[in-house]
Amino acid sequence: MSPVPGHGLAKGLAVTLRTMTRRSVTHQYPDAAPQLPPRSRGVIGLFEENCTVCMLCARECPDWCIYIDSHKETVPPAAPGGRERSRNVLDRFAIDFSLCMYCGICIEVCPFDALFWSPEFEYAETDIRELTHERDKLREWMWTVPTPPALDPGAEEPKEIAAARKTAEKLAAAQETAAQEGTAQETEPREGDA
Amino acid sequence: MSGTLDVVLRLVAVLVAFLVLPLVVGQTEHKVMAHMQGRLGPMYAGGFHGWAQLVADGVKFAQKEDVVPAGADRRVFQLAPAVSLLPYLLVLIAIPVGPNGLVGQAIDAGLFFVLAVMGVGVLGSIMAGWASANKFSLLGGLRTAAQLMAYELPMLLAAGSVAMAAGTISLPGIVQAFHWWWIPWQLIGGLVFFTAGLAELQRPPFDMPVADSEIIFGAYTEYTGLRFALFLLAEYAGIVVLCALTTVLFLGGWHGPLSGSFGWLWTLVKTALLAFVVIWLRVTYPRLREDQLQKLAWTVLIPLGLAQIALTGIVKVVIS
Amino acid sequence: MTLAAAHPGFMSPSGVEIAFALVGIATLGAALITVTTRQLVHAALWLVVALGGLAIEYLLLTAEFIAWVQVLIYVGSVVVLLLFGLMLTKAPIGRSPDADSGNGWVALTVAVAAAATLVWVVVDAFRSTWIDLGGAAQGSTKVTGAVLFRHWVLPFEALSVLLLAALVGAIVLSRRGAPARRAASAALGALSGRGASSGPGAMSERAAGSERAAVSKRKTGES
Ligand code: SF4
Ligand code: SF4
Repeated sequence: MSPVPGHGLAKGLAVTLRTMTRRSVTHQYPDAAPQLPPRSRGVIGLFEENCTVCMLCARECPDWCIYIDSHKETVPPAAPGGRERSRNVLDRFAIDFSLCMYCGICIEVCPFDALFWSPEFEYAETDIRELTHERDKLREWMWTVPTPPALDPGAEEPKEIAAARKTAEKLAAAQETAAQEGTAQETEPREGDA
Repeated sequence: MSGTLDVVLRLVAVLVAFLVLPLVVGQTEHKVMAHMQGRLGPMYAGGFHGWAQLVADGVKFAQKEDVVPAGADRRVFQLAPAVSLLPYLLVLIAIPVGPNGLVGQAIDAGLFFVLAVMGVGVLGSIMAGWASANKFSLLGGLRTAAQLMAYELPMLLAAGSVAMAAGTISLPGIVQAFHWWWIPWQLIGGLVFFTAGLAELQRPPFDMPVADSEIIFGAYTEYTGLRFALFLLAEYAGIVVLCALTTVLFLGGWHGPLSGSFGWLWTLVKTALLAFVVIWLRVTYPRLREDQLQKLAWTVLIPLGLAQIALTGIVKVVIS
Repeated sequence: MTLAAAHPGFMSPSGVEIAFALVGIATLGAALITVTTRQLVHAALWLVVALGGLAIEYLLLTAEFIAWVQVLIYVGSVVVLLLFGLMLTKAPIGRSPDADSGNGWVALTVAVAAAATLVWVVVDAFRSTWIDLGGAAQGSTKVTGAVLFRHWVLPFEALSVLLLAALVGAIVLSRRGAPARRAASAALGALSGRGASSGPGAMSERAAGSERAAVSKRKTGES
């Protein structure tokens, strides 16, 4: 219990009064663009050139809202006498955003980096059927995908960069040893270190 | 002839005040409440910070269908909003705004008139609660009636104390008799009066009769459209009346620097400040239970009111 | 009535007198509906009209103070309590078939007799006395107060003793439910500050037994 009766009541009044003098936290959305955090899940963009129509995304999607049609095409051999190759050509790629639950599985699962999250979120429609967006629309959204934010300072290196760096280091080390072997033979070769 | 014209002018002025001031209070409540909760409140209607929000609301209410439930007692149901609104209009007539007869109509027994007529407003809620044929409405009506037993007595005691102090029960007379040291003298009475008044208006923290999270909207659950708007208007008119009355009785009405020419302004400013407090309390405190209000009224407010009367009597005897 | 005809304004009634008569008729009508209607809550609401009409009559007689007290106590409080009580019962919307006690004729006889007595007493007492309401207001607050506390102070105090008795009675009744406290003298307990707090409790306790009481008890509180 507080020493003075009504102490708590006065405290409550002070809290509300103080809040009133502070800036409010309201975002005036349609007038001011919202400040979305990086990796916001607004809509899914498709980078067609990367898509090989492997159908992984469509199969993994929990609610089956990705529709893909394709046909096979035979490509004439690149060099004369070579073998003919067949290739999948995308006919339709659509996502029904009235079903999509923004789980992001399709994007995670795509082995060829063809799907991306875009922060674009203003695509409401008055008819639910119009929420199925075709590849041209998905492609337009591709251009709104922001560059991923920089990693945290102490973060682990991205895998591809780590791999590339290792290769480069190996190469440099090999070259160095080769150069050393060429100039001075007296020292013991120490390949084992590389 | 000029006498009639004078009366008509006064009544028109009161009517205008009755229609405008509650809206002002309502809009203030929108904004103050929003900012106290870290929001902005209405921003669009009217262009500048949503000043016309309540006008827009009024237009909306006017367009809505006026539904009377099939099982309701039609006549009583339709009459109820008027019964709860009109008393406040009548009360406003008797409240003095400035010196030299700046009042709708000076009434000899003004204090009793005001308290009596305000008490009638409760009937509207009870009628609405009973006639709606809805159990939530009925509960709201019951709570309204039960609440009356809590606030009526302390309110009268506090008002009686001022009447004793002033030696008159005419409202302009009371303000006339006011001296600055009345404020500390009648402080307890003022607090009791204001608290009891909040309970009468069913404003948070005493909004059990309309408790929207428990009984939907109490007695007004079944109302739609304009009739519903009338109930809302009655609530805000009630705030205006209560604040103006507290100002007149306990804060010296038009007294203040330059009260000769700006007396009416002082009354309005004091009323507005009190209205702000009403909103402030709403934002700050959670709703009490009906029995908690009864306990508060019977164990705190009434003894305080009686103590105030005793104090008033003693001081009155000493100084005379 | 014929005796009163001698006074100055009876043949050419003034506006106030006409209003008085009209309001009187309306009040009488409302009172009649109050006792004859089969709809319980409507009866209470018509009672409001009748009491309000009475208040207006007081006003027309320049007894302002009495008029407002009438509104304050009867319309504002007593009728609200009445309605509260009605709501606790199963007052239906529409007619209550059992709202007639069957004593209609007896009630009518008593009412007529009482009315006749009152009218006769008043007429006999004043006969053709002409009370001028235009002068100093006889019913104003000041005069009422002075008369009440000078000439009628003894009945006034007697009345307050009656009220006190009623209050103590209510408290005793309301405390009967608490057996632990029954040992203590109820009257003593009533007079020591606790009495006030059990006021509302009394109400909710008496309400018990009716069907909705369970609900109301939760609302109005059993502290
Ligand atoms: S985000 Fe999830 S639900 Fe939406 S399309 Fe991709 S896998 Fe399907
Ligand atoms: S998983 Fe990627 S590559 Fe495969 S079909 Fe889907 S988008 Fe195209």
